Amino acid sequence: MIAETPNSAASFVLLQLGNRRFALPAGLVSELAPPVRLHTFPHKTPLVSGVIVRRGRIIPVYDAASILLGRSSSMHRFYLIARRDFDGRSELSAIPVSGECELATAEIQPPTGEHPPFFSGRIHIDGEPIDVLNFDALAACTAADRGSRTEDRS
Amino acid sequence: MKIAAHDSVKSRRPHHSEQMILFDVAKRMFAISAEAVQEIRSTDSLAGAANEIEEPEVIKVRHTFERSHQNYYVVNAGVHFGLPVTRPTLVLILRRLRVAVLVDRIERMAEISAVHTLPLAFAGDERRWYRGLAYLDDHVIPVIQPSGFLTAEEFSYLDRAWSEMEGAVRA
Repeated sequence: MIAETPNSAASFVLLQLGNRRFALPAGLVSELAPPVRLHTFPHKTPLVSGVIVRRGRIIPVYDAASILLGRSSSMHRFYLIARRDFDGRSELSAIPVSGECELATAEIQPPTGEHPPFFSGRIHIDGEPIDVLNFDALAACTAADRGSRTEDRS
Repeated sequence: MKIAAHDSVKSRRPHHSEQMILFDVAKRMFAISAEAVQEIRSTDSLAGAANEIEEPEVIKVRHTFERSHQNYYVVNAGVHFGLPVTRPTLVLILRRLRVAVLVDRIERMAEISAVHTLPLAFAGDERRWYRGLAYLDDHVIPVIQPSGFLTAEEFSYLDRAWSEMEGAVRA
């Protein structure tokens, strides 16, 4: 039996950050990687905490929790590897996540009212509202955005 | 989506290897092409030849010295990279640039087969500081861009300050 899904439904990867879940369009996600060593060196880019090495590539790590939760996530179990677009050039990027990820299909609702630019909409999974991340907008956040996005919109 | 096991880095492209000097500043390791370094001296050996310079726009430079009729500026690498203050013991005198760099110590020389491009995610001053990243013995090490220590604007500030100081001494 093939389950029917609405035409506008899309696939999302649900990721756990602290005690909240967020969604990323599945097409952006490459893999879920184990918590390999984070390499750090001096730099001045906000939100980037360092790099990891995966499959022979050096991949930047974004401290997404500092924007989405208002604090850095000290405990993470995996790195979610996703693609970020830079004016037509794409680059693999890593987000530390605290739990295993799930794949879900749902219809995205446009954001309502005031919302940060890094939320492109919302989906509902088993009655739970989950914000869909605009990864490019999230990664472009500056240090000034840190801690200012802590409100729970659910 | 898949969960994959750990793996080691491997270069996909054949590269000629490059001799690098690995050095420490505030317990951080950096690499610089050996070809870019003309001489390594102790700070003590340079002390007698160095003159103080003060230019508020370029606080990472506190000393200058003359060599081959050219004025070299001594950059404190710790200040340049925004690292905690240390007591540098060595000076790397760069080739083809009027720059010398204060560092804490030389770790070792190493043959590096590939310099990976700095990821596009890095968008700050580091794009000027680094040529790229090297992966060596399970460490990712930034590879220095020698011309990134001083910008053309910083050179002009320093040259002007030095000319004024020389003029004042002559007067």
